[in-house]
Amino acid sequence: MRFFKGMKGKDAAASQCTSNDFQDLFKKFEASKDFLTFQFPDEDGYTISYFNSLVNAQQVHEQVLAVLSTHQKKPLQQLKGDITMEDIKETKDIKVIQRLILSGSIMIQYKTGDETCLLIPCALDVKRKTSIPESEYTVAGPKEAFVESLDTNLNLIRNRLPIPDLQAKEFRVGSISQTRLVVLYIDGIVNQQIVDTVTQRIGDIEYDTIVDISFVGQMITDNRNSMFPQLIDTERPDHLASVLSEGKIGIMLDGSPHALVGPNTIISFFSSFEDYFQIWNLGTSFRLIRLFAVLFSIFSSPLYVAVITYHYQVIPTNLLPLLISSRGVIPFPPILEAIVLEGTIELLREAAVRLPAKVGSTIGIVGGIVIGTAAVEAGFVSNVLLMLVALAALASFTMPIYQISNTIRLIRFPFLLAAQLYGLFGLALCSAFILCHLLKLKSLGSPYMEPLYPMRFDDFKDSLIRLPFSKQIKRPRFLRTENPIRIKKKAETQNTQSDIDE
Amino acid sequence: MEVKPNETKQISAFFVFFLMPGMQIGVGILGFEQVIAKEAGHDAWISVIISGLIINAFIWMCYKLLGRGPNTFDLVAIHQDLFGKWIGNTFNILFILYFIIISITIIRTYIEVIQVWMFPGINVLMLLTIILVLVYSFVTGGFRVLTGFSLIGLVIVAPLFLLIFFPLKHAHFGNLGPVLDHSFLEIMVACKKMTLNYVGFELLLIYYPFIKKRELSQKWAQFGVLFTMSIYLVSMIVSTAYYHQEQLKGLIWATLTFWKVVDLPFVERFEYVGITLWLFKVLPNICLGVWAASRTMKRVFGVKQKKMVVFILSVILVSGLLLDTHNEIYWFNTLVSRIGFFIIFLYIPFIFIWQSIVYKVRSHKP
Repeated sequence: MRFFKGMKGKDAAASQCTSNDFQDLFKKFEASKDFLTFQFPDEDGYTISYFNSLVNAQQVHEQVLAVLSTHQKKPLQQLKGDITMEDIKETKDIKVIQRLILSGSIMIQYKTGDETCLLIPCALDVKRKTSIPESEYTVAGPKEAFVESLDTNLNLIRNRLPIPDLQAKEFRVGSISQTRLVVLYIDGIVNQQIVDTVTQRIGDIEYDTIVDISFVGQMITDNRNSMFPQLIDTERPDHLASVLSEGKIGIMLDGSPHALVGPNTIISFFSSFEDYFQIWNLGTSFRLIRLFAVLFSIFSSPLYVAVITYHYQVIPTNLLPLLISSRGVIPFPPILEAIVLEGTIELLREAAVRLPAKVGSTIGIVGGIVIGTAAVEAGFVSNVLLMLVALAALASFTMPIYQISNTIRLIRFPFLLAAQLYGLFGLALCSAFILCHLLKLKSLGSPYMEPLYPMRFDDFKDSLIRLPFSKQIKRPRFLRTENPIRIKKKAETQNTQSDIDE
Repeated sequence: MEVKPNETKQISAFFVFFLMPGMQIGVGILGFEQVIAKEAGHDAWISVIISGLIINAFIWMCYKLLGRGPNTFDLVAIHQDLFGKWIGNTFNILFILYFIIISITIIRTYIEVIQVWMFPGINVLMLLTIILVLVYSFVTGGFRVLTGFSLIGLVIVAPLFLLIFFPLKHAHFGNLGPVLDHSFLEIMVACKKMTLNYVGFELLLIYYPFIKKRELSQKWAQFGVLFTMSIYLVSMIVSTAYYHQEQLKGLIWATLTFWKVVDLPFVERFEYVGITLWLFKVLPNICLGVWAASRTMKRVFGVKQKKMVVFILSVILVSGLLLDTHNEIYWFNTLVSRIGFFIIFLYIPFIFIWQSIVYKVRSHKP
């Protein structure tokens, strides 16, 4: 109700603005070449104006101009009934006029200079068709990804969750771009406090042009300086739909083919949506492999530096000759060797991302084989380290979420420096710093390290491991949902005794 | 002035289980065997059990102390309630000093371990500064973060407890007999020395207001101490069975020496890894100590806790640098042991009885 009252107040204020404003606006419009204004059907007819580049020409011809030419000239009020289009507005509010014309409406005036006009929405939608997810591709499961049009994206979600409780709160962000932003959640499941937090943070956004959801993500996260992402950026409508029903909230922006999902725990960044498409024991194993890959990716080259620089006593006797023969001719200390190699890998990765796909794969081959082999043969780096660094890079590619793989890429460098400073002990110190940061971190007010701390055994069912769907009776506890029960009825156990049990 | 923490800053009663070993197991366990074996020989494990049970009784006392008064949810309030503002605050300041010197001992002893076993020529000032910055970032995270750190620290070092398997392969359990070969007095003296390894439970008197459903937490506190006890007990039994008595009496770091026995295909000289990982056990100790000291200062003087943390850390830095040689550190450790003994064995029972008397007198007054 208050919303409407506010609107009324605005209308009243707008009606007081002078015809001068109207002229000014028109002058601004006419400065652009693609703004058309003409009399139709003849010199005494209506004045029609619109942005040529914004309207759907076919619609204008068939549904507006055709009607106008066949009917006699009558007042706008009556004309409204003749045109078979929805959401036609008759107004003299200059703000509404400006907004609607700039979003693809055509304006009809009874005669030139009239302040009251009819606004008919005829927007031209230049849309990409839904395509296959690229950054979150899975072999099994749906192959639809979000596109740049908010309405299409909403359609993808509503089709998957056909309930009235799925609510979409709309906002406009950006002082220039006025981009539409939608907060999606399922009422009755989501914790209202989280919705309020997000609503308030979105309200606080102050920026001129918001072109992508990642802008919003950076502006509304809890810790804006953290290397660790706190909101997941997904392009899969199935992913968004399933987490919405868990009690998370989604944020979508017009013009961005991604949705933000929150609140999350650190574990959810390591779990691919594909884990749910497989049987639970396979899903669990792959998830654990991925976690191991993260640890390996972060620690392998720093461990090499630490052990070779300070603690060669730790190396088993059988392994020692191998390392000596590999490192014997290297003129640089291990840290330099590692930084050079890690830097090369980062270079290759950046280059491969910037180049078109076909050239990119060539770069990968050139970099991996030619540069790597050449570096070893030239005696710049040892092949043991080359192997470790390559494996670490490979391991970091297993990350299902793009943002966290970037974090893991960069986090290795402080570890390398710490290893150079104090060896193994330096690694422990550096890990402690990161642990401290993670313990302090929150995602939309929920603890980031859950279920490890605060320890909640219930939530282990879908974190490090994934138990079968029959065990997922309750929604995750860290979301503090209003309706924690997921499976209402207990599945009836079939009588599957084998003959030996009878 | 009851400062009640916000509910979002409180922890569940369950986590007291992790806070107990989080503060009790620290550098002490790396070499406690020698000290009590000197007194009770191969019966030292009995002392470990007895002193553990004594601590259980003390925890019961602490809960009584905290639960009896109307508003006495922490030590500061108890002191002010029993002794009035001035004398009460004097006691509080003594406790602040106690927490600070405990932190100094822990950090300095750990750095000594690093000096002796890993980096003989390390720059103490630099290492100390880095560790203290780390402590600062943890402590400023608040009590919840510290609890989480105690828990995760325990999880990280848990595999180290399993390494006891390696010396077990060469153990002679005959070393343990004959049981009860030592006099009652000898065992009790060993008990007294052992109790100091349980120091840290008295922090309960400070963080009690931070526990949700405080009344239910006693169970977890007692279990936590029993957990600590079992860790000490296993170390003690295994070292008695593994080392010869005379050898054990000369070993400064018996548990640490166990790690040298570890034989894995991919790593040798495991003590390097062990000492490194032990950081995650020692740091929660220091953090909790610094937190307790700064929290008490905040309650007594009504100042910002963050500033106090900086003050305490600079005190620790300076005193850590002043304690330079092994003998000085040993002397300081002995001093802290005496103070700890005084606090546990004399002061807690004293204040417990004193409170009983005061409350009885008060209830008789109309």
